[in-house]
Amino acid sequence: MELIILFISAALINNFVLAYFLGICPFIGVSGKITSALSMGIAVTFVMTVTSIVSWLINYKILIPYNLTFLTIPSFILVIASLVQFVEMVIKKVSQPLYRALGIFLPLITTNCAILGLALFGAMREYSFIQNIIFALGAGSGFTLAIVLMAGIREELELANVPDAFRGAPITLIVAGILALAFMGFAGMI
Amino acid sequence: MKKEVNYSNEFLKGLWDINPVFKQVLGMCPVLAVTVSAINGLAMGLATTFVLVFSSLIVSLIRKIVPNQVRIATFIVIISTFVTIVDLVMKAKFPELSKALGPFIPLIVVNCLILGRMEAFASKNSVIRSLLDSTGNGIGFMLALIVLGSIRELLGNRTIFGFQVLPELYTPMLVMILPAGAFLTLGLLMGLSNWYVKKKEQEEIELIFSGYRSATTLNTQTELN
Amino acid sequence: MKQVIKIIAVLTSIGIISGGVLASVSNWANPFIEKNKKEATEKAIFLVQPEAKYYERFDFSDMEVYKVYDYDKELVGYVVVNQGNGFQGPIRVIFGLSKDLQRITAIDVLEQVETPGLGTLITEDDFKNQFKNLLIVPMIEWVKGKPPSKDNEIKAITGATISSKATVQIINDGINKLKKRLNDE
Repeated sequence: MELIILFISAALINNFVLAYFLGICPFIGVSGKITSALSMGIAVTFVMTVTSIVSWLINYKILIPYNLTFLTIPSFILVIASLVQFVEMVIKKVSQPLYRALGIFLPLITTNCAILGLALFGAMREYSFIQNIIFALGAGSGFTLAIVLMAGIREELELANVPDAFRGAPITLIVAGILALAFMGFAGMI
Repeated sequence: MKKEVNYSNEFLKGLWDINPVFKQVLGMCPVLAVTVSAINGLAMGLATTFVLVFSSLIVSLIRKIVPNQVRIATFIVIISTFVTIVDLVMKAKFPELSKALGPFIPLIVVNCLILGRMEAFASKNSVIRSLLDSTGNGIGFMLALIVLGSIRELLGNRTIFGFQVLPELYTPMLVMILPAGAFLTLGLLMGLSNWYVKKKEQEEIELIFSGYRSATTLNTQTELN
Repeated sequence: MKQVIKIIAVLTSIGIISGGVLASVSNWANPFIEKNKKEATEKAIFLVQPEAKYYERFDFSDMEVYKVYDYDKELVGYVVVNQGNGFQGPIRVIFGLSKDLQRITAIDVLEQVETPGLGTLITEDDFKNQFKNLLIVPMIEWVKGKPPSKDNEIKAITGATISSKATVQIINDGINKLKKRLNDE
């Protein structure tokens, strides 16, 4: 039960993009088309889940036992960077179609603050191993939901008569604001 | 003489011409997340500027030693070192502020603005130029954060930097300090700045055009004569 | 080959320098961080137990509990830190209990992420002061839209019923856990 609450809270109520503003760069950059948005969402969810496992192990098996918590930030970011490279290589070897779908999004993920944010939040809130994985899955699904919804809206926006000055980033931010308002309706579910 | 002009340019361009927030649209997460109040914006701006300036300094100092293949990894280690220093100092000396900014101090590491400046500028330019460039960009970033924070604090809480500005009569718009308010304010501000820039460009074009037109009319008139 | 050695040398030296710098900064900062933490806890404890002069951590598995004493080292009551789910996320509440576990001395909200302007009203004195000297037997009740009529009732905030209810539940839950533990002893 607690795990379900954790999942819903990470995915909807405290949505990474719309409530914590994590992963805004890809949210604005890759939300032009629904298909690429979905691929990005899946790639992020996947990397998040793997990161949650590895960062938990590093935090509780290396950093805390040896009293090295001041190295949290450098070690997490290096792990994420190498993890993304590693995942890219594995996917390339294992499945060519999957690589073609996700490949170009993987390098972008290294500088996606949602991933580092997830690792840091998990460490800060002292989640257990299982909780951390559920948290990652929830956050990833929330990110996917937000970016796909956004892409759907932006495909429609192409046809709308937006004032010149507001084209691109400004109108995307305003739409995101309205989406964030809509997501506030999820509060109170837990 | 000419060099001096260039140096000041290196500094000034970050304030507006390539302002990290309004022009480059970089480092959005902290911009949106911490600007609930002007003081938070100022603190986040200072922390980011500190990391940016010192990372620039180190990167430009060692730019000739670092092999090209591992430059990104080196940048990341340098940046995360300075971020950890800021984080620890804030926790030790300004616990209140550190609590308010929460996990967004560690997240400075992945602020694309910093890595962007390292890659685009500090790794290719002299120490002095890099320092000017990073200070300019940092201050430009900080100004944007303070403007956004002040607007949201004013409309959402009647105050700026904690001082009451609007009278009690004004009912605070709660939405401004909610996440949605951050998106809306930044979107509108960016739109307005685009509009202003476009209008200025238009005016310049019209000026040139009208100059051209009067010249041509003059020409035709002389031809007629 | 030379290139590889250079890469390794550069990366290692940067790693060592960065690790060294961080270790010394963290050595300098840690005492301050510990002191801040301790001061924050102390401040909260003495806020909810105004008569207390000393406190001692009470060994408790899943909750933070302190026994507090007055000048003469006489036990005056307990301080409990408990958390639970509010409207948008976890709420952490600290509250003081009298020695006989009959009344609350005072409460404070340590952490919350409720809706600004509505749920965050639980951090305001108007709400928190209702708990001062509140009877907690058999348990705290809340009422809506009318002033409380009994000694163990508080009035929920209009527009933030869920946040108010959650605060009451967190406190009741903490009291029950402590009672159960003290009975076992």
